[in-house]
Amino acid sequence: MNDIYKPPLWPMLLIGVVSLIWVLPLIGIIMTSIRPEGETLKGWWNIEEFTLTLEAWREVWVNYPLWDALWNSIKIAGLSSLGSILLAPMGAYAFAFLNFPGKKVTFLLLVNAFVIPNQILIIPLFTLWRNVGLIDNIFSVIIPFVALSMAWAVFLVRNYLVDFPRSLIDAAHIDGCGHVRTFWSVVLPNALTPMAAVGILQFMWTWNSLMLPMLFLRENIPLPVLLTKIKGTYEPNWDQVAVATIITSVIPLLIFLYFQKYFAAGASNQSGQKG
Amino acid sequence: MASIALNNLVKEFGETRVLHSIDLDIKDGEFVVFVGPSGCGKSTTLRMVAGLESVSSGEIRIGDREVSGLAPKDRGISMVFQDYALYPHMTVRKNLGFGLKVSGTPAAEITQKVDEAAKMLGLEQLLDRKPKQLSGGQRQRVAMGRAIVRSPEVYLFDEPLSNLDAKLRTQMRSEIKRLHKKVRNTIIYVTHDQIEAMTMADRIVVMRGGHIEQVGTPSELFKSPANVFVATFIGSPPMAMVDGEIVKDGASPMFQAANGPLLPIPARLRDKVKVGQKVFYGIRSDSFSPVGHSLPRAGEVHQMSCTVDHVEPLGAETLISVALGNSTVLSKMFNPTEVDVDETRAFELELDACYLFDKGTEQSLDL
Ligand SMILES: Nc1ncnc2c1ncn2[C@@H]1O[C@H](COP(=O)(O)OP(=O)(O)OP(=O)(O)O)[C@@H](O)[C@H]1O
Ligand SMILES: [Mg+2]
Repeated sequence: MNDIYKPPLWPMLLIGVVSLIWVLPLIGIIMTSIRPEGETLKGWWNIEEFTLTLEAWREVWVNYPLWDALWNSIKIAGLSSLGSILLAPMGAYAFAFLNFPGKKVTFLLLVNAFVIPNQILIIPLFTLWRNVGLIDNIFSVIIPFVALSMAWAVFLVRNYLVDFPRSLIDAAHIDGCGHVRTFWSVVLPNALTPMAAVGILQFMWTWNSLMLPMLFLRENIPLPVLLTKIKGTYEPNWDQVAVATIITSVIPLLIFLYFQKYFAAGASNQSGQKG
Repeated sequence: MASIALNNLVKEFGETRVLHSIDLDIKDGEFVVFVGPSGCGKSTTLRMVAGLESVSSGEIRIGDREVSGLAPKDRGISMVFQDYALYPHMTVRKNLGFGLKVSGTPAAEITQKVDEAAKMLGLEQLLDRKPKQLSGGQRQRVAMGRAIVRSPEVYLFDEPLSNLDAKLRTQMRSEIKRLHKKVRNTIIYVTHDQIEAMTMADRIVVMRGGHIEQVGTPSELFKSPANVFVATFIGSPPMAMVDGEIVKDGASPMFQAANGPLLPIPARLRDKVKVGQKVFYGIRSDSFSPVGHSLPRAGEVHQMSCTVDHVEPLGAETLISVALGNSTVLSKMFNPTEVDVDETRAFELELDACYLFDKGTEQSLDL
């Protein structure tokens, strides 16, 4: 009876194993990036020889326009996320609070765009961008990124707004707000949670996406496209690829760490009601 | 300052009609309370006056303007909501001033008006807090403040006190009353609590199922209810309805309770009943007491003996249920002494304070 409760051991072990599976590739990439390529060709875990060198870290900056690509990535993912964060709540507000003819059908159409594969859009979009001269302009990918995100983003925010206290909107109308002012001054400040969710998802997706930038951009390429170029046809350049990969993944990680508090904030900041 | 008129007001949600041709005139500066059971259309009517709900047909006039087509902000109204609807992301100061800010009032004037309202409601210490840092009663006050700041012609309240505990509710009740005395604006106040209605209203509008059942001052509704619904809704405990019919007993008509005693008919109604008419005999507990424990009776009193069914001591008085035939009637015993269940005692009934309602139409025979 006077034994202190001891938690069972197996969950710890299980978590340990699972974490290891997650962390292993990361360790692999880091190991590859700090050793000469010759040593890791037989596998990064092979440590018969181990030379610590930052040669690859230096070379990749010199050989490739990593800064430009990083800046392009930030612009593309940043603007795409901003677009989705601002536009999705507007659509969601309309679907949640306004009555207009064809509301149900429009909403169904919008959400169903989710199931349309991006690949279908490539050729018509390419023709369009070529005709309006938008090829190699980052907006040739930002525009479809924002448009494609609307399907899930509007859905996500609308589902949140459906539970938004109706009386807050009534109060705003009584206080003299039209729909635009109500949206801007009352709904948006209280919808940070779904907006953060949309932002994070959209940022991850656009940061990592390869296909549209590869097709529509020539010079202004983002990091994932650059990655494919580092891995040359004749030289695998594993060490430099590893460095670029680390740089590519670190930004979304930071963003996620910063914004995750908004997920936790959740519904607690919703209404003035006692609860 | 503004009077309000509802003419033939109808509201339909799709196929269902929830307000059936409401007609009502509210005088300038009057405190009118809408009362009725849940779902009877009180909030809907209020929201139509506010401009939050469209009008299906009929008209709403505030002052001398037809307002059904106007946006809420152009109607000269402000509204207090049941859940207060304070903006969670704004401080109390911003909440109070938001309406003025939207209407483009200069900042200095906003500050002045907000400070004034805060002082009036004792909110000075709380101006920099967010709503979630306030107690329920404080939130309620802020919600009132937000309505006051804009100095509207008409205040609309939708069950503003129903989220408060009993003590705070009593306190806020008198505060709202005092506020009305001070500002003398027209107020429409919705509640389903008849005590709130009785204590606050200049006039009460009793609603049921999208119809107005009766409009009158609290004492009019209490003293001359138009029908069974109003009679049982206003007053606590509710008026008891004894089921029975009118019979001939010698020269004068009498009321024969179903399976129960014969009761005399109040003098004012003797000419209005027909022999054989099925009626309800309405008795309030105050006018039916054990002999020796009643209020001084001015008019005609009928004595009978009844058997006690159930006893509820309330301290200052005791409520006794007795059966009159098939129906149960509550009797109020003033200066109470010990009463036993199943005991048979003499009771007296003040006939002038009794009512008759036709059983078919449920209308009062006084009309
Ligand atoms: N948006 C709506 N769509 C359809 N029906 C509605 C809508 N709003 C209200 N109703 C119906 O209208 C009727 C009146 O509702 P209302 O809210 O006015 O009742 P109430 O008297 O305020 O009741 P309570 O005391 O519960 O607040 C109800 O039967 C309700 O179901
Ligand atoms: Mg209501």
